[in-house]
Amino acid sequence: MQINWLTVAAQIVNFLVLVWFLQRFLYGPIIRAIKQRESRIEKRLADARAQRDDAEEEAERFKQKQADLDARVDEVIDNARREARDLRRDSKLKIEKEAEHRRAALRERIEAESEDALQDIRKRAAASTFNVIRDTLRDFAGGDLSEELADRFTRYLADLPKDDRDRLAKAALEAEKTAHVYCAPDLSSTTRAKLTRAIHQTIAKELEVTYASDPDLLLGLRLDIAGQTVDWSVKQHLDRLETEVREALTNAFPFRQQKDAA
Amino acid sequence: MQITPDQWILYEWRGLALNATVAFTWLVMAILTLGSWAITRRLSEGETVSRWQVALEVIVTMIRDQIDQVGAKDPHRYLPFIGTLFLFVATANLLMIIPGYSPPTGSLSTTAALALCVLVAVPFFAILQRGVGGYLKSYIQPNIIMLPFNIISELSRTLALAVRLYGNVMSGTIIAGILISVAPLFFPVLMQLLGLLTGMIQAYIFAILAMVYIAAATRAERQVSEPESQQQGE
Repeated sequence: MQINWLTVAAQIVNFLVLVWFLQRFLYGPIIRAIKQRESRIEKRLADARAQRDDAEEEAERFKQKQADLDARVDEVIDNARREARDLRRDSKLKIEKEAEHRRAALRERIEAESEDALQDIRKRAAASTFNVIRDTLRDFAGGDLSEELADRFTRYLADLPKDDRDRLAKAALEAEKTAHVYCAPDLSSTTRAKLTRAIHQTIAKELEVTYASDPDLLLGLRLDIAGQTVDWSVKQHLDRLETEVREALTNAFPFRQQKDAA
Repeated sequence: MQITPDQWILYEWRGLALNATVAFTWLVMAILTLGSWAITRRLSEGETVSRWQVALEVIVTMIRDQIDQVGAKDPHRYLPFIGTLFLFVATANLLMIIPGYSPPTGSLSTTAALALCVLVAVPFFAILQRGVGGYLKSYIQPNIIMLPFNIISELSRTLALAVRLYGNVMSGTIIAGILISVAPLFFPVLMQLLGLLTGMIQAYIFAILAMVYIAAATRAERQVSEPESQQQGE
């Protein structure tokens, strides 16, 4: 049970040497290796984190892009719909306009045709009326048609209302004091004298009366004193007939009625 | 039979005797150093690590964690000293199973040398941590009357450290020797196994106690100042 102090000293030295050896060959390298590995792992984790962040960022960007694309698609579809709607409206308007145009053209043609027909009817009516009247008057009078016309006109003048006669007289006195008488057919001189006398009696004595033939009247007489006229002729009757026939035709053609209404 | 390997002289040269204690210590040192060198020569810092390196890393980190658990601030500062204490004692004890080997830790000279190292290391680390004044002040805590008792406790625990290790290892050897003469066939094997266990435990106890002493010396001031700071905090 003794302590060998020399051995103790040797063991202390041995121990300290061993401490140095192990520090040199064991603890130092091992701790270093562990630290380096840890730092490497740390670095890898950091890298992985960075990569994950990048990936998330990328995903976010793609999502944004997708949303933009969706929005654009919606916009394009909306535009297309709007354009289609406009196009439809425009073409509808165009078609309506064209239809209206054609309808108007058709109506015009119908009117022109009805006008022609009216004209035709009028001519025929006039001709036949003229014939009928002439035949009738001839049969009825049996004599000179113009003389009978003059008699009738004389009576017509005498039967004129007082106001009309006064107006005629006033116009005759103020103007050139000439009365023009247009007749169809032409009057004989005796008939003319008789008519002149009648005019002097009924309107004014100092009037100068001139006579002229006017085939437009067809049959009858027209007295013209300074723009004031007294018409007693088949033409007048025909004009009235024409008016009536026109009215009848108007009622028969609805297009014309529409146009008149517009 | 020899109680201590100090008396087992292997070689003598001009009055300087090379006894078995020193020789087997050199053997242990050679095994530890060469083994460490052989393994750490090709250290891997990547993912694939050799099993030997893993073993060394486990041992080193385990020692480091133990130091950390005792409460030292910087385990890497104490790792060489405490780790070498543990590894040396453990290796010296484990080699007991080799016939003809006598553990150097069974010599009071060796354990006294280790205890003296601890005796010096405690003030060394304490002064390193707190300065000379701070360390000396810990001897008059809580007051000056305690100075002799503190000195006595410092010395007595060093003596206890040395004797504890020596007694345990030597007793194992002696018990094995006695049992071999009484029941030579089977029982000594069990005692050998028990000796391996106690050898490891002694290595652990020695290293941990050394660490506890060092930790107590380095943080003595903190233990005193902590309640004050708490009161100030309130």
